[in-house]
Amino acid sequence: MFSRHLAIIPLLCAALLASSKLLACPGADREALQWLDRMSHSLRKLSYHGVVTLRQGEELEVMQVWHSVDGSASSGHLARLTGQGGQVSRDDHPLECVHPGQQLLRVGEAMRDGECGLAELYRFSVIESRPVAGRDTVGILVEPRDMYRFGYRLAIDRETGLLLQSETLGNRDKPLENLAFTRVVYEAEQPHAGDAHVLHLAAHPHPRDVSVDFPVQRPWTVTWLPRGFTLTDAPARKSGRRSYTDGLAVFSVFLEDLDRDIRPGEGVVRRGSTTSYTRGRRLSERPVLITVVGEVPVNTARMVADTVRWVQ
Amino acid sequence: MSEKLRESLSALMDGEADELELQRVLASIDGDRNLRRAWSRYNAARAVMTGHAIGALELDISEKVSDAIRQQPLAEATAGGPGQRLLRPLASFAIAASVAVVVVLGGRQLAVVNSPGTLAEPVSVAARPSPVGVLNSLGATPVRASYGTQSLPGLQPATRSAYDELARQRMSRYMQQHAEHASLNSPQGLIPFARVTELRE
Repeated sequence: MFSRHLAIIPLLCAALLASSKLLACPGADREALQWLDRMSHSLRKLSYHGVVTLRQGEELEVMQVWHSVDGSASSGHLARLTGQGGQVSRDDHPLECVHPGQQLLRVGEAMRDGECGLAELYRFSVIESRPVAGRDTVGILVEPRDMYRFGYRLAIDRETGLLLQSETLGNRDKPLENLAFTRVVYEAEQPHAGDAHVLHLAAHPHPRDVSVDFPVQRPWTVTWLPRGFTLTDAPARKSGRRSYTDGLAVFSVFLEDLDRDIRPGEGVVRRGSTTSYTRGRRLSERPVLITVVGEVPVNTARMVADTVRWVQ
Repeated sequence: MSEKLRESLSALMDGEADELELQRVLASIDGDRNLRRAWSRYNAARAVMTGHAIGALELDISEKVSDAIRQQPLAEATAGGPGQRLLRPLASFAIAASVAVVVVLGGRQLAVVNSPGTLAEPVSVAARPSPVGVLNSLGATPVRASYGTQSLPGLQPATRSAYDELARQRMSRYMQQHAEHASLNSPQGLIPFARVTELRE
């Protein structure tokens, strides 16, 4: 009898420890975070194909996507059925290869390590959700805790954990962009690829590999980033590009050396959830053009562009 | 492909489809190779007709022309009085001039964007035309000169609009490089590539 009671103590301790960690991350909804964890694994490990629509204002892009897992690697394909009709392919991506953004999405792992991770940057809650592509879904409302990122309304397949719908919400929850499956089939057999006059083989930028997209003459850096953003790969010091992710949003900074002076100024273009912010300025007497492209608010792009510095 | 689907697809392309027809096409397109081909073919043809797939240069012109045309009634409305008729050709000239400026701007910028390999060579960084000259040429825009003391309604300050144009062109240039990273570091798989206006190999 006594020994049975003793056996319960470690279990109680574990439960208390787990709940204290959740308490340490205020506003963390355990159920929502579990779904997020499941989604991050499903995206990589499921075989499926379907049709996805991307709505940006009045514009509608339609694409066919498929994803298959074969042993220890996955392959993905996207065929755009509107506009130019190009296709993108990524073959033989090792399943054990986890990129920084995917790692950040695994909130459960972060919490087991005593960190709040994404739950520090966003508030996650389970909300009602309608079926998407005929599948029963769980709705997750993702609200940013600061002004440097957008919010999201996600719909995750209740049975498989696949992200079936993602709506990006701007200031005052204004919908900026909506991605949704209109049909999804879970099977390994893939539909035949149509003809494509442009087939892009997706690159595989990874923190293990030093990359140079295009060179600039001096090493440079970004001296301020919104909380939680981290580099997606390992750009060389003189590479003209840096990309950052917080697990949900990604933005890239591009620096161009100019050989002539530039009238200082800034320009912005927005399409859906994407911002392109361009700033012409002198950086230690050298004229440069800095561009931030990504799924972040204009203010974030401007603040990041402001803090670009040469490294001495 | 059934007759019903063909009708729905046709309505969709003409912008006359209702939500139900859209859903019908979208639900069938995954399993119907002929429908998919027809859809892609129609879309590619329409994209070429509207200048989307030919290149951003043509897109610049069509956008700017329509902007300029939208501004024309405003220009005429503010002109008023007996000089109105006299000013009308000036307004048209101003539109033509603003279009010409944009063509030059787009052309110079795109000459950089569209020449493959230039980005990979260190020497070409200094050699390629910088946007400075472009901004200056737009700063001395003939649109204002032709109006004399009349300012063209709705036009932003030259530098600001030139910078917005630069931001748009940089978006076209860099979106694909950005998508390489977004597709591996956000929960949407390859879908970020759908935000690239014109995919390159």
